[in-house]
Amino acid sequence: MNSRALFSIVVLLAGCGAPGPQPPAAQARLEDANMRGSSQARAGDNAGAARRYEDAMRLAKTLDDADAFAVNSINLSIVYQRMGRDADAKTVLAPIVADERRAYSDARHLQAELRLAIMSLAARDNAGAIEWAKRAQNRCQSGAGGCAQLPAILNVQAQAALEAGQPAEASSLAQVAADRARQLDDKSEHANALRLVGRAQRAQGENAAAVETLTKAWEIDRELADPRKLMADLLELAHASLAAGNKVAARDYQERAAAISRALRDEK
Amino acid sequence: MSKPFSPPVRFARLALKVNAFLLIALLLVAAFLGLVAWKQGWFIHQTGINFVTRNSLGINKGMPVKLFGFTIGTVSDMRLAQNGVAVRMSINSAYLERIPRGSRAKFSRESGVVGASVIEIIPGKGEQPIGEDEYMDFEPARGLAEIIDDFRRQAVPAFNEIKQTMSQFNRSGEEVTTAMIALRREIDQIPETHRAVKRLIDSATRTSVSLEHLTGTLDRADFANKLITTLDSLNRTAATAEETMLRIKPAVEIGENAARDAGEIIAAAKRSWPLKEQYRQTEALLPIDSFEAYGISPQKK
Repeated sequence: MNSRALFSIVVLLAGCGAPGPQPPAAQARLEDANMRGSSQARAGDNAGAARRYEDAMRLAKTLDDADAFAVNSINLSIVYQRMGRDADAKTVLAPIVADERRAYSDARHLQAELRLAIMSLAARDNAGAIEWAKRAQNRCQSGAGGCAQLPAILNVQAQAALEAGQPAEASSLAQVAADRARQLDDKSEHANALRLVGRAQRAQGENAAAVETLTKAWEIDRELADPRKLMADLLELAHASLAAGNKVAARDYQERAAAISRALRDEK
Repeated sequence: MSKPFSPPVRFARLALKVNAFLLIALLLVAAFLGLVAWKQGWFIHQTGINFVTRNSLGINKGMPVKLFGFTIGTVSDMRLAQNGVAVRMSINSAYLERIPRGSRAKFSRESGVVGASVIEIIPGKGEQPIGEDEYMDFEPARGLAEIIDDFRRQAVPAFNEIKQTMSQFNRSGEEVTTAMIALRREIDQIPETHRAVKRLIDSATRTSVSLEHLTGTLDRADFANKLITTLDSLNRTAATAEETMLRIKPAVEIGENAARDAGEIIAAAKRSWPLKEQYRQTEALLPIDSFEAYGISPQKK
């Protein structure tokens, strides 16, 4: 190694020890608001998280930072939906979807469209959900490289198919979502996909297989420790067990789901 | 005439007492032997299973044989065979059904490379348990050389990446030198650039004066002449600015190249171990979860 290379390494290592360049104050406040919002959202303090994300959006506007504005809008939409403010959750995404100035990247468009598909489905608007999911999927497929949101898009499509009374199509879409999620090591979407496969199997009368698939989903969700998902899994397991003729297991699952529900209510 | 013999009354029935004492002692010894035999497992039925190794170094009589870390027998005998050493293991017959045909014996140590050596049984995929006096395959222990070779195989890609990063640093050093030479050349030209900038400022001042004059005399008859003068002045300003830009351009290009190179180097360094772990992207976006479409009422908090 010659002396220049050695000098370069020394300079680089010296850089590690020295404090990095300080970001401008507004930029630092923007990052801080986003970070605090995320920690509060993860801790379940949705109202606090919403306040942080609203601050972050305002700061992003003052800095003309379109990407930060989009990220915080999407985060705020998630938090608003958790708070039950569905209309606000949709409104906050409108500027990204409209994008009159073409300021937002394809990735942000895709994320906003996926969020709108999810919210439409939650509001039992199947047609709207299918439309938004289709737009997100087209964007996902046209983008170079892997698309991390594909399992979620497929899961939304599978759930829409299930709600529309097409369990066979729902099952095949959810299977693809499960495979893709496994490849991407996305446990959350993997469990969601398995839950949908289980529901589709039950709808097709394959009750024993449904119990088996739903148990797998429950095992993953237990690792993720999300009470709402665990409750959903247990309710589905109760339905599937009852349909399979196992009343004792069905009652057990139902009681466990009820216990989680009560605990969540007490927590509130 | 001697007195007739009369047995001593003090040791009456002595023979009976001695015999009883001896009998109790014998029973105690037998019980002790029985206990020792039981503890040694002499009453447990053992099944002999064999394997042949080309090298019996480290294998001794009495060495424990383990299945899943649990002792199920011992090495009972070793003898020289045609192709190596035939080792016989005495396995507790109760555990034999857990050793199917196709199982392998492996020499290993309790704590990996160091620790007490044992024979480990690795169960095979067969369904029928192995029988008395049957032979199983033996897997010798990995030597230090093999372990080092394995480590080398895994470490080589990492070292190659470090080497690549180093060569990128090296190249960057050369480019920095080139950039420094070009920068020095530009520094030499600074006085001239300074003069050009001064001319530009003078020109701009004149233009400004001309414009003010123009504003004040818009309604005058010689408007056209002054406008021509102003346009000439603006032309000169533009030419000077262009000249200045042409001078600055190489320096800007060099700066751009240097910045791009630095970016590439930092990106390569970030990809390389051990820096990779320090530069994980923190995602500012919350995970978008399709479960939110499920319709379970959210936590309104």
